[in-house]
Amino acid sequence: MEIFISTIDGLAQSSGFMGLNVQNIIMILLSFVLFYLAIVKQYEPLLMLPIAFGMLLTNLPMTGLYHPELWDPATNPYFAPEYIEQQGGVIVNYVKETSLDYGRVLHDGGLLDMLYLGVKLQIYPPLIFLGIGSMTDFGPLIANPKSFLLGAAAQGGIFITFLGACLLNLTGIADFSLKEAGSIAIIGGADGPTAIFLTSKLAPQLLGSIAVAAYSYMALVPVIQPPIMKLLTTEKERSVKMGQLRQVSKIEKVVFPIAVTVIVALIVPDAASLVGMLMLGNLMKESGVCDRLVKTAQNELMNIVTIFLGTTVGATAVAGNFLSVKTLFIIALGLIAFCMGTACGVLLGKLMYLISGGKINPLIGSAGVSAVPMAARVSQKVGQETNPSNFLLMHAMGPNVAGVIGSAVAAGVLLSVLG
Amino acid sequence: MNLALSILSEAASAQPQSVIDKLQAYTATAEMSVAQQQLNDPDYWSSVGIITITGLLVVFLILGILIFFFWAMGLVFKTIDKKKAAKAEAAKAAAAEEAAKAAVAAAVVEEIADDEADADDDEIIAVISAAIAAYSEQDGKAYEIRSIKRRDSRTRSAWSLAGIGDNTRPF
Repeated sequence: MEIFISTIDGLAQSSGFMGLNVQNIIMILLSFVLFYLAIVKQYEPLLMLPIAFGMLLTNLPMTGLYHPELWDPATNPYFAPEYIEQQGGVIVNYVKETSLDYGRVLHDGGLLDMLYLGVKLQIYPPLIFLGIGSMTDFGPLIANPKSFLLGAAAQGGIFITFLGACLLNLTGIADFSLKEAGSIAIIGGADGPTAIFLTSKLAPQLLGSIAVAAYSYMALVPVIQPPIMKLLTTEKERSVKMGQLRQVSKIEKVVFPIAVTVIVALIVPDAASLVGMLMLGNLMKESGVCDRLVKTAQNELMNIVTIFLGTTVGATAVAGNFLSVKTLFIIALGLIAFCMGTACGVLLGKLMYLISGGKINPLIGSAGVSAVPMAARVSQKVGQETNPSNFLLMHAMGPNVAGVIGSAVAAGVLLSVLG
Repeated sequence: MNLALSILSEAASAQPQSVIDKLQAYTATAEMSVAQQQLNDPDYWSSVGIITITGLLVVFLILGILIFFFWAMGLVFKTIDKKKAAKAEAAKAAAAEEAAKAAVAAAVVEEIADDEADADDDEIIAVISAAIAAYSEQDGKAYEIRSIKRRDSRTRSAWSLAGIGDNTRPF
């Protein structure tokens, strides 16, 4: 009988119930909210669902799937050996570095720690970009290179939010370092993989909050953008029908990814991994000689990486990192970043409307915030509300794909300055 | 840590009060968050301003270079296309000249063309009638076609809308 009781007692002691606390319970309930958003509301479900499940797994006590302490250089520092020759022998001296001890991660880590290596070592976001590149048609952008300007203008949201996050420190209620401000600002790029790429490098402790905010707002693009677009444009501007785009030859489509990679990587080498993979995927597609690789990049690879990325990013949302005032500020600043990006794009679109003598519809400017192809669809929808026979979709795809390149470049710039 | 060690190494030679001040300053710095330490830096706001402005400028600069590159590339390809179109036009003109020489044949062609125009109209009417008949079968009602008129050509036709929809559906 005693053995039976002690066995039951041992099981009870090692069960997750013993480790449950209020913070865990709140995080588990939050993951249920994300499940609702993913399954019922269908907010970016392909990523939101794995993120929510990662959040659930990491906050269930005693599972040992993810160890946040292994990912903090303060609690898991790397000691680099220094070999000093002395009197015929060698003395080993260990010097504390600012990087992590990855050996300990491999030794003590759980399943999600292992998968998180792909985020920490910045492998997953470029692979997602490879898949995006293999699905993207840059034809509208090549046909109308001026679209690049709108893609650049929409990145204004990133830098305005960076400034805003720094100004918020003055009030004393927020406490963001420059690296954290840069990571929050990148939400304005409306590009999930780019936001994860930059944040995993600059402020990994904010990864969960930033990923959830970025993907939530990307799903809310059709709600957030139209009021801003209508507010900043007149009915006359919104009803402009744009001329047909010229046919782009295959040679141009093949030269495009190579030229973009060379130009961007030479000026901002830190953006090379994102832009390079995006353009590799696109070159595989446009060359027409790598059908099997294109199919893999578009389907299996993209889906596998999406599962790993979503689950591990969700796993970083442990109570200690997520349940803080910073998360609330991140959600607020992320919304500001989105709105500012949209407004900057539309305002440059208005300027181009004036300069072109009314040939450019300013609504296509809002598509510069990447979020492919949702933002372009919004331009089309708002344009058609004003003029039912208007088709802006292909014109908006130009700034839309330019926005993907623009946000990757902006991330590279922030990484080179703050990293 | 290095700062603390350097302060301790100075301890022997320096005045005791200054060492305590320095240690207190170091302790205060260690307790401050990175954000607070950055805010105390006199160059903080200039750094923030420089990052914001240069960041935006670099993004515009790179995308500006890309605009120039692809604009120039577009010009080259447009010129090539124009040359190809001119060649095709010349070939077409030559073919038309040859056709004009065959006067008898041309008259026949004209007659056939008239017939074809009429046949086209009949064909369109037949297609519209068939479509309505198919629709009436689903609907369970009978329809009678009294007249067929062309729509205002300034707006897009249902066929054109369907075509655009088909081409843009992937996006």
